[in-house]
Amino acid sequence: MENNIAIKIDHISKTYHGSHIPAVNDICLEIPRHARFGLLGPNGAGKTTTINILCGLMNYDKGHVSINGMALEKKYKKIRPLIGLVPQDIALYETLTARENLRFIGEMYGLKGKMLKARIEECLEMVGLAHNGHKQIRHYSGGMKRRINLVAGILHRPEILILDEPTTGVDVQSRSMILEFLHEINKEGTTIIYTSHYLEEAEDLCDHIAIIDHGELIINGMTNEIVGSEQEYQDLESVFLKLTGRKLRD
Amino acid sequence: MQKLRTSVIKETLILIRDLGGLAIIFIMPMVLVFVMALIQDSTFRKMDETSLSVLFINEDQDSVGSAIEQGLESSDMIVLNKTYEGKMLDRETLAGLISEGKFQIGIIVPAGATDVLKSKASYLVEKAFAEEDLPQPDPDIEPLSVIIYFDPVIKHSFRETVRMALGKLTYGIESRMIFDLFAAKVSELLDTESTLEYDPSGIIRLEEKNAVNIYTEVIPNSVQHNIPAWAVFAMFFILIPLTANIIKERNSGSMLRIRLMPGSYWVTIMAKIIVYLIISIIQFILMLLVGIFILPLLGLPLLELGNHIFALLIMVVATGLAATGYGLALGSIANTPEQAAAFGSVSVIIFAALGGIWVPVFVMPPMMQKFSIISPLNWGLEGFYTIFLRNGNLIDILPWAALLTTFCIISMSVAFYFLRLKRN
Repeated sequence: MENNIAIKIDHISKTYHGSHIPAVNDICLEIPRHARFGLLGPNGAGKTTTINILCGLMNYDKGHVSINGMALEKKYKKIRPLIGLVPQDIALYETLTARENLRFIGEMYGLKGKMLKARIEECLEMVGLAHNGHKQIRHYSGGMKRRINLVAGILHRPEILILDEPTTGVDVQSRSMILEFLHEINKEGTTIIYTSHYLEEAEDLCDHIAIIDHGELIINGMTNEIVGSEQEYQDLESVFLKLTGRKLRD
Repeated sequence: MQKLRTSVIKETLILIRDLGGLAIIFIMPMVLVFVMALIQDSTFRKMDETSLSVLFINEDQDSVGSAIEQGLESSDMIVLNKTYEGKMLDRETLAGLISEGKFQIGIIVPAGATDVLKSKASYLVEKAFAEEDLPQPDPDIEPLSVIIYFDPVIKHSFRETVRMALGKLTYGIESRMIFDLFAAKVSELLDTESTLEYDPSGIIRLEEKNAVNIYTEVIPNSVQHNIPAWAVFAMFFILIPLTANIIKERNSGSMLRIRLMPGSYWVTIMAKIIVYLIISIIQFILMLLVGIFILPLLGLPLLELGNHIFALLIMVVATGLAATGYGLALGSIANTPEQAAAFGSVSVIIFAALGGIWVPVFVMPPMMQKFSIISPLNWGLEGFYTIFLRNGNLIDILPWAALLTTFCIISMSVAFYFLRLKRN
């Protein structure tokens, strides 16, 4: 059973320096291998903190995290290459071309030579940017930037891909392409952890859902089991509003 | 090693595509050197290479007035004007022209100056040889005063130059007159026709030497002073593109991605240090080339590098490391590129002012001289002056290089502390 778990989060808590309110409070989660896992919540719920902890980018105060059965704190060097991250911001160098950005990322992951070159072309092809790979990122449209930001996270073929709101501010075509792409790489075996404010999109993509609010886990399960589990839960949005309320968040 | 090479290539590409950053790094310092070397050239030249236009009225029309006039005329640094718009000058016109700022200096030798000097000198000689006390000189004879008018805006150094030149002349005239009267009196007492000859060249002569190593004597000039000074200033200005680079990388999320890459975080920081250190060395070399090849075309002196090229290289690397470390620290502390650029540039200007880049430390008030030692730009400047002006060797510059390297280590420690703090 343990072999089927990609990520196990066991009672983790994190309080930022200078704050009394925990950003993440005693969260427990198990994310199965090959899952398309939606981590949802209103602004300030603790999604990004959880993602940063999973990536090993942030220390936590209590609890344990294991990835593929390895303790994050102890085996971080081995775990790091297993994870791909697509940050919320366009984490690319604006004055480098798409190919130069990907070459830099690939070489930093230890890829080189013909293999790297072929992988870069494959990735550019996957997101329809092969003809624009020679252009500097600053000349790209918002959708193109999102697409290249996405493939930058999977260039090294990670087993787990973590996406922090990857479709924010893109047109319908790019969004559709990104979601199809995620389905495709998931079929190839990549575990996907996905955060978004677009609940319809999350409902379509994710087979597992967890909703957190005020740093606490409030629901966790299969998407189809959560949606429709009660009469008033017609879709994910109604579940979300019921559980997190209608009060505006800053 | 491959990761370091990759990161260096990435940093280099980012830098060469940032035209604004390149302008700050390379063009601004060269413009600065051109302008400052040209402006300051005249102040470094020997005084006889520049000349002051002086209004002159000789009311005396006798030996004292003529001697002062001839003395001033024979000086290359002074051009005498006895007329204005074709008319002989009078006191009122002279004072008016000075007060209007049309001329900066005016000299008046008053009428009867020769008579006054003769009378006073004769009294002194007679008194020296008198067997009994002589009566006091006529109190109605006023002391001899040569009047000098100065425009209030004139620099103190020019005022001093004219005063000293005139003082030297009047002292010489006075000495000669007393000497001649003494000689005549001695001849009269000895009842001989031969008299002592006055030697106007004096007994004590001044021989100027620049206190440098015995193997060479580099003449201080605007180029020798300005090239190292503005090169140090420019090297510290690399903090503007460097801090912008660090902050953009952090704020865009690229740093987040880099931190997830195996063993890449410190490699990325190291790559920045390497690239910006190389840039600062190139900057310095370009400034030297300007001093050697371009400034002489504009009539300025040629930059002489001295005999200790290895010491020069050590100083360049130490200064570059200090500048890079400072940029790294600011980039780690500041939250926005604007914040870093504003604080960084103002702090470098303050360090430059304290460090003697604009005004030499020795002319600063004593309290400010104490503060100058805290400026890393002062350490850089002193190190380069040791090589360029004092022909210092590696041992001579080691204290300055050590201070700069220590500053670099402290700055980098601060940078790593803040990078770690912001990471968590």
